Amino acid sequence: MRTPIDFLDERFDVRRATREFINHPVPDHVNWLYCFGGITFLCFLIQAVTGILLAFYYQPTMDAAYTSILHIMDDIPFGVLIRSLHAWTANIMIIMVVFHMLRVFFHGAYRPPRELNWLTGVILFFITITFGFSGYLLPMNQLSYWATKVGTEISGAIPFAGQYVQAFLLGGEKIGDATLTRFYTIHVVILPVTISALLVAHFLMVRKQGIADPL
Amino acid sequence: MSPNDSCETDSHDEEHSGVPFFPDHFVKEASVMALVVAGVLFLATLIPAPMGSPADALKTPAGIKPEWYFLSVYQILKYVPKTVGIIITFLIFPPILMLFPFFYKRITAWHYGRLVLHTIVALGVFFAIFLASLAYLGFE
Repeated sequence: MRTPIDFLDERFDVRRATREFINHPVPDHVNWLYCFGGITFLCFLIQAVTGILLAFYYQPTMDAAYTSILHIMDDIPFGVLIRSLHAWTANIMIIMVVFHMLRVFFHGAYRPPRELNWLTGVILFFITITFGFSGYLLPMNQLSYWATKVGTEISGAIPFAGQYVQAFLLGGEKIGDATLTRFYTIHVVILPVTISALLVAHFLMVRKQGIADPL
Repeated sequence: MSPNDSCETDSHDEEHSGVPFFPDHFVKEASVMALVVAGVLFLATLIPAPMGSPADALKTPAGIKPEWYFLSVYQILKYVPKTVGIIITFLIFPPILMLFPFFYKRITAWHYGRLVLHTIVALGVFFAIFLASLAYLGFE
């Protein structure tokens, strides 16, 4: 009897692809220090799932943002858990990115021919940091408000581009509805799309170039 | 390629040495992932994310600090003129971090090049942790 696997195999050669994936050798020098990149990706997946669940209930307006999160915490089943997972994993993700970068750096895995993958990784690091910065405003509590005020003021002091960066972020004179919708759009649309594309590039480059030899 | 070459660690031989991804490597990877999931579930359950009081543009809270990953930059801005600090952290540091591997050959043309590079970064990491600790403790 023909199985669905046979159907797919005839069309896409899936058995060979799976076999290659499964048998793909991992070099002997790979040890536990090599797990930080994978953990970072796991964190990204946790953030995607918990983030989507939070977005079902979160309302990005000055009036409703804080109370909508109170609603998530108090009334929605597992709301506290989902939000706490999102907050904890955000911090752990940044630690794991840094550990991964340090591992890659001190193993010299950035050296040619892997310069472009290092460059992609650094951009991914900055995206992760921007995720943190943009997500910090969303609960609209005292910490979010004043940390964002300090942050946008610092960005406003960048020579030449500063005033434009600040205007782009704030969307007005001070933190308000425009700021919140912008930060929300950056946090749930712009950054997720960008990070997904760059992660695919990051992984394809590792796949193509293999794991670097030790120094 | 002759079988004699199989123990070389040359990248061309990677395809022919090492453990298979599945099940050997996969089991390790999966166990680490399970531990991480258990860890964040433990933390999220034990210490739920705090909510704090609602934003108030008229009430500046005392001791406002950015998130921990911005603390070292925040502390630098206390010591150097704001514009200088911002030029270094926003305009000079990121391109260097992104592009230094492109100059690897030139760096290692000098015998101690890589040693110096790695030492600078190691010291930089400790310095960043030191600065962040100062910021956390509230040193001006």
